[in-house]
Amino acid sequence: MSSVSFKDFRTSAARAIADVRLQSAIDGATLTFRTGRVKALADLPDVDGLRDQLKAIRSATLARLADHLEMFEQQARAAGSHVYWARDAAEANRFVLDIAQQHGAKLAVKSKSMATEEIHLNAELQNAGITPVETDLGEWIIQLAGEPPSHIIGPALHKTREQVAELFSREVGRTLPPDDIPMLTAEARRLLREQFLAADIGISGANIGVAETGSVVLVTNEGNGRLVTSAPPVHIAIMGIEKIAPTWDDAAVWLALLARSSTGQPMSCYTTAITGPARDGDPDGPREVYIVLLDNGRADLVGSDYDEILQCIRCGACLNACPVYQEVGGHSYGVPYSGPVGAVLMPLLYGLAENEALPHASSLCGACLDVCPARIDLPRLLLKLRAEEVREHMLTPQERLLENAVAFVLRHPRLYRALTGLGRIFQRPLARGGLLRLPRRLNPAGERQLPALAKRSFRSMWNEIKDGQL
Amino acid sequence: MITARDDILKRSKQRARAAGDHPPAWRSRRQFDDLSRRFVDSLAAVHGEACVVPSLEAAFARLGDLLAEIGAGRVVVNDEPPFSGVDMAARWPDIEWHVAGRSAGDLRAFCAAADVGLSSADAALAETGTLVVTSGPGRSRLVTLLVSVHIALVPVSRLTADLFTWTAGRSTPPPAMITLISGPSKTADIEQVMAIGVHGPKRFIVILYGDED
Repeated sequence: MSSVSFKDFRTSAARAIADVRLQSAIDGATLTFRTGRVKALADLPDVDGLRDQLKAIRSATLARLADHLEMFEQQARAAGSHVYWARDAAEANRFVLDIAQQHGAKLAVKSKSMATEEIHLNAELQNAGITPVETDLGEWIIQLAGEPPSHIIGPALHKTREQVAELFSREVGRTLPPDDIPMLTAEARRLLREQFLAADIGISGANIGVAETGSVVLVTNEGNGRLVTSAPPVHIAIMGIEKIAPTWDDAAVWLALLARSSTGQPMSCYTTAITGPARDGDPDGPREVYIVLLDNGRADLVGSDYDEILQCIRCGACLNACPVYQEVGGHSYGVPYSGPVGAVLMPLLYGLAENEALPHASSLCGACLDVCPARIDLPRLLLKLRAEEVREHMLTPQERLLENAVAFVLRHPRLYRALTGLGRIFQRPLARGGLLRLPRRLNPAGERQLPALAKRSFRSMWNEIKDGQL
Repeated sequence: MITARDDILKRSKQRARAAGDHPPAWRSRRQFDDLSRRFVDSLAAVHGEACVVPSLEAAFARLGDLLAEIGAGRVVVNDEPPFSGVDMAARWPDIEWHVAGRSAGDLRAFCAAADVGLSSADAALAETGTLVVTSGPGRSRLVTLLVSVHIALVPVSRLTADLFTWTAGRSTPPPAMITLISGPSKTADIEQVMAIGVHGPKRFIVILYGDED
């Protein structure tokens, strides 16, 4: 269970802001993703129409989610896949462990999956004596470091090449120089290749489940999604129940926008659709394919005020666009989802009271809505969560008192003028060059700047202009 | 006791919003004057390599040049047109050949140590320089995956504009595996620096050959 209180968020945000290397890593990565996205979308004819189409597909699909899920299940079974339904993390993990134990598995290779991060599958596998090996390079790096992902698409973007070289050196048992990234990649290829060929099971997530054919679609750049579903004799896919595209035509819309919105590629290097185990005559491929449909709070969101968040295709564009994410980094949001989508999804999955800070991790500037391929109104969802906090009395008594006081002052203009007049006098010791130096407690990282109250208010100037005195 | 399945289905249904009509399928907005030109350019832009030759014979000649340039010693080939029925070992006797699903020995071990894997493709998407490869009799997944270099010989008649024209012309039901390949395996997971050849092939070469008069 992930939880982020105001205190947690402030502490981790302050740490991230003070970390110069982290700041430059996030700035660099998000800038690359942002510019790539703009360029890739510019090449597409009628991109606005296409985004409207994705929105329409996602919203219509969720309105009939149960029907589409039944169709998916029926088609997947017809193709020879086993389909399991998991209400929560515990049920999903139990299915995976049962399958693994049934096949006597000791080694599991995994392709990058946010759903398995969500249910903490790796820890469960380890406890059961099964070694999980992450094979996406970024996921492997953070697995070696024992850290959660800090970005949906670039899980290790917070790691420097020196840190990666150190982690890999420990694995190969000799010192690898940090200045040669292709060499570090080649070492990873060599080490992980052995794991792929030795693995008893392959575990993946699912980018899309195509209902009309019961296919699980995986999108990767490195080829690990292909290997996980080709080399081991058993493939288990864990898929959130909202990841359904009714038809291949719908999936095409999704795929046309996914890579362009996330990494700025026209297509990721590999898009793989798995429809059941290897058929008679196939020279290779898994003998068994299992699909675990994961609810974990999603079904209850359907039809709620927040169900728009289920339209998310996990491209990460909102993280790259978010000024708050760019400062505080992915780890400030808890595990596993970060950025604007995480700020909405985490409280919905793991409880609003437990994650009270996250709906406030936004300036409501709307950049996330601008870039979302499914046009999810993230600012609206964040505001709704904040309103719910107020309604549910989750504020501290001090905060309530303060907010009520501010509301009272704003309703009484004379009182407001009197108080700002006093503020002009009492701010003097804190004001420097038109800015207020906030006390340390309100400004833990020392970077926050507030404008001081102007010498004269706009209203008093306006009155003079009106009277012709200026 | 209610099963997890029924419980999930019930809860995803009970509050669902009124369903309007599902939107009609999106139709491709693309019209390329020269599909093969666009394919070659798009694939080059993502670090893949492609060329167009007039005939199958010219494609095999180009393949020979590439095998020599790579210095290929071990080559694995899918048992599918245009390779099936061709005696590769007779044409290139210095190379150790493995035909997927036909040769004796472990396909997987051969692929893992092979310099080159040869395949064809079901379709080629011009917009993104993407090949659509599938599994099936004689069509291995590992031949196009574990090898250092993947070379595909694809007739130009398999070219189509983009994802949307491909799904519109798709035949059901699908094979066990479909992979859309757009360039060599790559990553930018270490400091956003592009590195080619992580788990899949380091080079991805497509030879489009004329098969129409």
